[in-house]
Amino acid sequence: MTKWITIAKHEFAYNVRRKEFLFVTFGLPLLMFALIGLPVFLAASTTGPEKFSIGYVDNTGTFGGNFTQYTNETSAKNDIIDGNITHFFVIPADYRSTGKIEIYSRKSRMQGTIEGEIRGFLLDNLLKGENKDIVERVKNPIKSEYFTLNEKGESSKDDLSGFLISIAFAFFFMLTIFTSSNFLLQGVVEEKENRVIEILLSSVSHRELLTGKVFGLGAVGLTQVFIWQAMGIAVLSSGPAALLLAGINISIPLLIFASGYFILGYLVFACIMAGVGAVATTSREGQQIAGIFTMIGAMPLIISQLILSKPDSIISMIFSYFPLTSPITMIMRISTGNVKYYEVVLSLIILTVSILVILELVVRIFRASLLMYGKKPTISELIKYVR
Amino acid sequence: MEKTVEVSHVSKSFNGQSIVKDISFDISPGEIFGLIGPNGAGKTTIIRMLLDIIRPDSGQIKILGSGQPEETKDMIGYLPEERGLYRRLTVINSLIYLGALKNYQGKKRALELLEKMEMLQHKDKKLSELSKGMQQKIQLIAAICHDPQLIILDEPFSGLDPVNMKLVKEMILDLGKEGKTILISTHMMDQVERMCGRIFMMHRGGGVLYGSVAEIKSRFGKNTVFLEFEGEFKNIPGVKKSNLSGNYAELILEDGADTQDVLKAIARDVRVGRFEVSSPSLNEIFIKVVEE
Repeated sequence: MTKWITIAKHEFAYNVRRKEFLFVTFGLPLLMFALIGLPVFLAASTTGPEKFSIGYVDNTGTFGGNFTQYTNETSAKNDIIDGNITHFFVIPADYRSTGKIEIYSRKSRMQGTIEGEIRGFLLDNLLKGENKDIVERVKNPIKSEYFTLNEKGESSKDDLSGFLISIAFAFFFMLTIFTSSNFLLQGVVEEKENRVIEILLSSVSHRELLTGKVFGLGAVGLTQVFIWQAMGIAVLSSGPAALLLAGINISIPLLIFASGYFILGYLVFACIMAGVGAVATTSREGQQIAGIFTMIGAMPLIISQLILSKPDSIISMIFSYFPLTSPITMIMRISTGNVKYYEVVLSLIILTVSILVILELVVRIFRASLLMYGKKPTISELIKYVR
Repeated sequence: MEKTVEVSHVSKSFNGQSIVKDISFDISPGEIFGLIGPNGAGKTTIIRMLLDIIRPDSGQIKILGSGQPEETKDMIGYLPEERGLYRRLTVINSLIYLGALKNYQGKKRALELLEKMEMLQHKDKKLSELSKGMQQKIQLIAAICHDPQLIILDEPFSGLDPVNMKLVKEMILDLGKEGKTILISTHMMDQVERMCGRIFMMHRGGGVLYGSVAEIKSRFGKNTVFLEFEGEFKNIPGVKKSNLSGNYAELILEDGADTQDVLKAIARDVRVGRFEVSSPSLNEIFIKVVEE
């Protein structure tokens, strides 16, 4: 039973050298960076805060500060057209009762930073004479911390770690399944297409071939996701998001459970994807069928509110034990603390057993349908094979 | 002595269509055995069952005395009809990997076989860089690289030019001399009648002839003339049927026709280069059996 290791090693080495693999692994993050980072970078370089020069027309006669004051709108408008200022705003005479401000500029754009600066100017004027601390507090009145009380009345400081971790887990999990299933599908369908599979099956059993592929191609998918994760952490920890990461504390038991659910959950999907690859005649067709399973896998994310608020409801129970949905559901529940011990044990057992059952079913389908080139078996034929 | 291959009463159907019907034959150690019949006769299905790629609906298959395919897979070499190898892998790496799957480590034998097949200088090329004929040879090497006891070759001559055909034939005969058991499956019946000791002939899933080539031929009598000639060939009295191909003809004589009369009749019309009285070819025997 070491042949599957040979196959796994071969699959890994053969597939990480694919041009498609290298392109997607390193090209996709670059593309993402280009799509998201570049506009931000360009926007930052063209409209830095120092480029604003703001003027105002004060019809109340009480405002003053470090912006250029104009006596009427016409002269302010002329200055904008001449390019002396970028924005000006008009404070109407009834400003104190309406709060209305008119802002003029050559370009229409998001007014976020402009409004911030005008707000500061207005607050400084409105609170003229107040203590400087009060002015600062009015500008930024809340810095919140949340505490949760348990039955004994002990309070614990709330942080978002648990929730963030479960979301991160779900994201990571879905990403892995998505990429690995692609590799598995392609791997099986391609060997069917180039006919190597017949030689392989004359050397190893269907089970060994399938096991080797699940582990080898799975490792390819994992490698890709780990590379992305490393890139992501590198980018995040160097940028402003570093503060966010520092605030997250991960407990060791959660990490262990997360790894366990991750690997078991992944194996469930990997076996299914290999089975889909065996049945599908082309990789496009395979991807369509695979999409259904991936969708089911993502379901817990969609109803995460319900799962977290009503863990005893029937839907939450089904999601907690159904092997396609249990990894994400259980990690969500463990990380937010509303889960019982036996539930974790039971769901892990169900996951493990279902891997073995699915593998056995897929081996049978594999054996029956693999060499039916160009013909997709019908559902009733599939049921017959499984028997 | 224990048979290398024992097939008894094997049947297989796909989607209610019977592909192989109650087939029985066996192959002794060291034999070169021909599994012959036209395309679609069920030859490849039988081979896939021998290799446990698919399983028979009924009947029994024993390889090297064992009914357990996991025990014998490493001792079988297989050249599938549908050729395929990893296109982006180098020749030598393909051979090492496929060898490892048969629990055969190392590359010494692979290099020897590459040399023998005049392919050694291509060992570091990718499969996709090789011509079709070269890929064929690599595939044959892959089938025998792990020094198997039983070698199953499905259409080993298809797509080969005459030079490579000769190389492959010599390779097969050498393996036979080494004492390997070889099963050749082909629809080109004339190719195997000079190589195989015994044959199993199939038609539409059933067996039609089984036995040694010499015995089968003698059963059909010496009623055939192989003729090489120059000139225009006309109908000759005493000839029941003639298969013409250029300057070559295979004549089936009527029962009781005298070969000397036929020769005289022919010599009147054309220049005779060769005139050989013989048993019919396997092709002709096959057609005769099927027509009956």
